[in-house]
Amino acid sequence: MAAASSSGLTFKLHPLVILNISDHYTRVKSQMNPPISSGNTANSINGGDQKQHQSPPRVFGCVIGVQRGRTVEIFNSFELLYDPSTHSLDRSFLLKKQELYRKVFPQFYILGWYSIGSDAQESDMHIHKALMDINESPVYVLLNPSINHAQKDLPINIYESELHVIDGIPQLIFVCSSYTIETVEAERISVDHVAHLKPSDGGSAATQLAAHLTGIHSAIKMLHSRIKVLHQYLVAMQNGDIPFENSLLRQVSSLARRLPAIESEKFQDDFLMEYNDTLLITYLAMITNCSSAMNELVDKFNTAYDRNSRRGGRTAFI
Amino acid sequence: MDSAIAQKTWELENNILTVENQDPSSDSIFYYDDVAQAKFQHERPWANDPNYFKRVKISALALLKMVVHARSGGTIEVMGLMQGKTDGDAIIVMDAFALPVEGTETRVNAQADAYEYMVDYSQTNKQAGRLENVVGWYHSHPGYGCWLSGIDVSTQMLNQQFQEPFLAVVIDPTRTVSAGKVEIGAFRTYPDGYKPPDDPISEYQTIPLNKIEDFGVHCKQYYALDITYFKSSLDSHLLDLLWNKYWVNTLSSSPLLGNGDYVAGQISDLAEKLEQAENQFAHSRIGPLVGPSRKKEEESQLAKITRDSAKITVEQVHGLMSQVIKDTLFNSVRQSNRSRTEQSDPEPMVEA
Repeated sequence: MAAASSSGLTFKLHPLVILNISDHYTRVKSQMNPPISSGNTANSINGGDQKQHQSPPRVFGCVIGVQRGRTVEIFNSFELLYDPSTHSLDRSFLLKKQELYRKVFPQFYILGWYSIGSDAQESDMHIHKALMDINESPVYVLLNPSINHAQKDLPINIYESELHVIDGIPQLIFVCSSYTIETVEAERISVDHVAHLKPSDGGSAATQLAAHLTGIHSAIKMLHSRIKVLHQYLVAMQNGDIPFENSLLRQVSSLARRLPAIESEKFQDDFLMEYNDTLLITYLAMITNCSSAMNELVDKFNTAYDRNSRRGGRTAFI
Repeated sequence: MDSAIAQKTWELENNILTVENQDPSSDSIFYYDDVAQAKFQHERPWANDPNYFKRVKISALALLKMVVHARSGGTIEVMGLMQGKTDGDAIIVMDAFALPVEGTETRVNAQADAYEYMVDYSQTNKQAGRLENVVGWYHSHPGYGCWLSGIDVSTQMLNQQFQEPFLAVVIDPTRTVSAGKVEIGAFRTYPDGYKPPDDPISEYQTIPLNKIEDFGVHCKQYYALDITYFKSSLDSHLLDLLWNKYWVNTLSSSPLLGNGDYVAGQISDLAEKLEQAENQFAHSRIGPLVGPSRKKEEESQLAKITRDSAKITVEQVHGLMSQVIKDTLFNSVRQSNRSRTEQSDPEPMVEA
């Protein structure tokens, strides 16, 4: 049903949206299936298993963000009410919520809508068309809530609608688009924090250092594994196991040629200046530390060998 | 398996509760039991014990929303409300939303302006399936740490009289970005005149000079709660997969460049504090007979300055480490091209 998109729009998705949708789904699912209390676990597993777990509910909501030129950046989202009788989203609710969000985030506007499922369906087109009067080309974000540990990719798809001529009739169909994850520094830190459940208090400098380096280490490990995959692929191509694919070779070659990243006198100068600045700060801190230690030493010395000055004079002690 | 032992030790030290995760399909914490909540509301066990609530559990979503909102305010304080429920001696924060008020610490009842917004938002939320009530408020202190100012303390005391159970959370987005970890604090105030039974040892943090008086006057009137975080099974799964995409951002972040202004501000603040300490030293030389008590204060001031400078330095050095690593990774290719013989690590210092 979903072909590849050709609209040329680049999509950027923020992790907040992903967590929003996941939270919405978890909440609704949890309210529908109240947790089995520890007392009658045995009974309910035997008898009530069929009734307890209903099919995962479809939740709906709206995504907001900004569109600058050809880039669509999705920042946030909120829930919407779905009216099963008319197969459409509650319009007044949407407008009310939009107004509320407009007050706090005046620069965001409605970009599209989201839902849960594994694939875009025909009935979704109905909702999609209804939103077209707010945004002439809404996006449809679909999250697949089934947890599949073998899957390496995010179970999120972004669909756009395109006008295609099928059997002589122009129809709107969903086409899948690719997207990148975009994050601001603060977002990244909090996502990292929650993902790895690091201890929240600072602890000693050693734990801070360990945490910082671990983060960088894992990132470099990822980079290394990706490069290894490419390397194996190239070796296989060289051996002749895999047929030559020139476009891929061109991409790899351009990647290799981008190293070194920056190579200029000015960069070196700026880099060394920053390096020296940091060393200066370290030096200053060490001097402060030393003078504080000296001060304490002198005071302790004074207190220990106090006998002379107690008599009132300011003569040299010892 | 050393790593398994290390993980067990870490989990033990940090009291990682895996109780909720034993049955990952239940995600029971997300279930809102309004009967139990109403009963708890009726009983009001916190009325007798000012120290009743000891822990806070914040959901991943609430944390992300609060930090992003705080950061989006830049250097202006922002505020918002948190929704959730209570669970014994813990307050659980499930979600947060922003309020359209611009904070200027002098507005005591900023919430009065936002009541209409709050009512509207809560109504629409209940319709959309979020059944929790408001359990607290959060605001940001961009750049000057997580604590309650005088105005905050009076606002929170008012809240704790009329809107129990209520929690105050403070976030510092600037320090979060600079230190690379989330700076957040959760507080509850003591009622007027109540003296806490023992002096809790709070984590030390740097306070800029112009705020230090405000901090000192009120710091005994509230206590901090332990914060833990939780996430649903789907959240965990998504976050794991998310890592596959944003490891690039981790590597490419440059805290040194982004925080230049903030660090410069910190250093100049430190310089002022140092001058103050120096003046105090100059006065104290006149009377060595004054007694040990006054000397202790000055010592502790210099010791504090030393600690602050150490903290700033550590953050800077971390930032520099990232830069050097990136330089080694991506820029050292030319060295290996030019000189095949010497395979030593490139040293930027010796470069020029």
